[in-house]
Amino acid sequence: MQRWEYLLKRLFLAIVVLFSISLITFFIARVLPSDPAAAWVGPRPTQEQIAKATQTLGLDQPLYVQYWRYLTSLLRGDLGVSIKSRQPILTELKTYLPATLELVIASMIIGELIGLPLGVLSGAWKGGALDNFSRILAVACVSVPTFFLGLLLQLVFFARLKLLPISGRISNEIAINYPITPITGFYTIDTLIAGNWPAFQDVLLHLILPAITLAAFGLGLSIRMTRASIIETLNEKYILAARVAGLPRRTILFVLALKNAIMPTLNVIGLSFVYSLTGSILVEVIFSWPGLGQYLTNAVLSLDFPVIVSVTLVVTVFYVAVNLALDLIQATIDPRVTLS
Amino acid sequence: MTELLTVENLHVVFQTYAGTVYAVNGMTFSVQPGEIFGLVGESGCGKSVACLAILRILPGHGRITAGRVLFDGHDLTQAKESEMQAIRGRQIAMIFQDPSTSLNPVFTVGSQIKRIIRHHTQASRQATEQRALELLDEVALPDPPRIMQAYPHELSGGMQQRVMIAMALASGARLLIADEPTTALDVTIQNQILELLVELRRHVGLSILLITHNLGVVAETCDRVGVAYAGQIVEIGPTSEVLHTMKHPYTQGLLAALPSAQQKGRDLLSIPGSVPNGLSVIPGCPFHPRCPHVMEVCRQTPPRLTAVNPGEAQHQVACYLYSPETAQ
Repeated sequence: MQRWEYLLKRLFLAIVVLFSISLITFFIARVLPSDPAAAWVGPRPTQEQIAKATQTLGLDQPLYVQYWRYLTSLLRGDLGVSIKSRQPILTELKTYLPATLELVIASMIIGELIGLPLGVLSGAWKGGALDNFSRILAVACVSVPTFFLGLLLQLVFFARLKLLPISGRISNEIAINYPITPITGFYTIDTLIAGNWPAFQDVLLHLILPAITLAAFGLGLSIRMTRASIIETLNEKYILAARVAGLPRRTILFVLALKNAIMPTLNVIGLSFVYSLTGSILVEVIFSWPGLGQYLTNAVLSLDFPVIVSVTLVVTVFYVAVNLALDLIQATIDPRVTLS
Repeated sequence: MTELLTVENLHVVFQTYAGTVYAVNGMTFSVQPGEIFGLVGESGCGKSVACLAILRILPGHGRITAGRVLFDGHDLTQAKESEMQAIRGRQIAMIFQDPSTSLNPVFTVGSQIKRIIRHHTQASRQATEQRALELLDEVALPDPPRIMQAYPHELSGGMQQRVMIAMALASGARLLIADEPTTALDVTIQNQILELLVELRRHVGLSILLITHNLGVVAETCDRVGVAYAGQIVEIGPTSEVLHTMKHPYTQGLLAALPSAQQKGRDLLSIPGSVPNGLSVIPGCPFHPRCPHVMEVCRQTPPRLTAVNPGEAQHQVACYLYSPETAQ
């Protein structure tokens, strides 16, 4: 019961946050010196064309009327139209958002599958060979620039070894011969659902290099976070008690200690997940990945305000949702944490 | 009678930034089957370290430098880590001073106790559940099914210590090392826990090595007692003899320092000086800097444990006041 009350409260707060974000981004976008009407019409516009566009876009109205119109259409699920492409933003998001999510989630999985165990083991054998190796790996992961790592991987795995494709989400031949029916927008899931094996294989191969490139930073972080947290936990009396009870080392490390130590790492993972939604722009550019980062950057460069506001809102939704999920996970892991 | 556990001339040192700390310096004692043996001494006298050394779970910078620990005739100091793994829990269990930090806060009591049972017995899920309920009942916890579902922080200190004892019994250990099991509990609960330990000794045949700084606890529960000072045993023997006809000046000082009704209103007695920090080995008798009866020989050579009376070999003391050569 307490949990439902808590959820309702958080949901209400989320709405307040979303409303404020929409308000702030909308006004910042409108206050900046630019002319959306001119952008809408295209190069070398006539005076009449601009006047007409101004009317069509509602720019002749006072700001609060513009915002009211925007807000009411937003509540109807209409995010508006991109000034640059003149496409409904919702339609565009349906291709860009899943592409980014697929990439970011894949990179998280890679990062944590390696980062968590490596962090636990290097914490358990502090100062050992594995610890030294993982320290170097972590520092390298965090400090090597994304573009450099991306290019390096392309050079090795595409140019030299010819193992993996250089860019895009799918090869042209495969896209033509084994077309993907979009269901979720996640190519890996869509091909799996359809049982489209050649396409699945191709899509997966395309995912590897960009996902590794994007995973590097989070990998470095989670190695260090997990290590620090595990070292602290291993000093606890209940770990000594578990050793005295004769429980095997791997149970102690990966069950008894890790459940106590995992929360800081989960918090970092959650935040870097949201950050990557638009922060993956470098990876998207290097690997021609049609994702949210590219979409937003192009919108900013061409002052495509409806898109900027919409993407900001989408990211905010994820931010709020991830934070709520982290709080719920923490309460589930640690019974001493109360939701309030 | 053959001893269950014999600690012989045990030495443990710690490498620290301040230098080498000599924590245990030739400790010798034994625990008989079905016996409660008390190890008393001030904080820092090496009694806890000796127990960690028995189980070979010293912190990373601690090392056993000499001596033997015989359990059932096997020298644990020479055992491989895998052999120790089989000893811990299954043969020797241990409970600690503060039960609230000895239980894992994010697992239910049931899952913690069942994990130990399953690991040591490979019993079926149902048998494990059944055994866990029995154990909780055995340590006199009310409503075992509810306790199984509870998290440690939902229990009181006394209940937590009972859970710890149940977990120690879960693996079927023959020797229980209880390191200050009642120090963190309030007095009425202390008594209940001690009664439980005495009861378990009678029913299960458990041998107990009870570490404490509380002479009252020793008087109530222990069959035999060893008094530790600066990492050595200075006096050892049957509890009633050691407490009534104490010989070693340190033991006498300890007992004199106990508050009693007669000294109401007066200052409490204390032993002058303080416990050595262990950074250097004191030549001769470790107690000589604080001893009121110090003699020249005490500063030169360490005394050995010898029988107080030739007639009773049980009660032994390491003090020149009682050795035939020096006694005038």
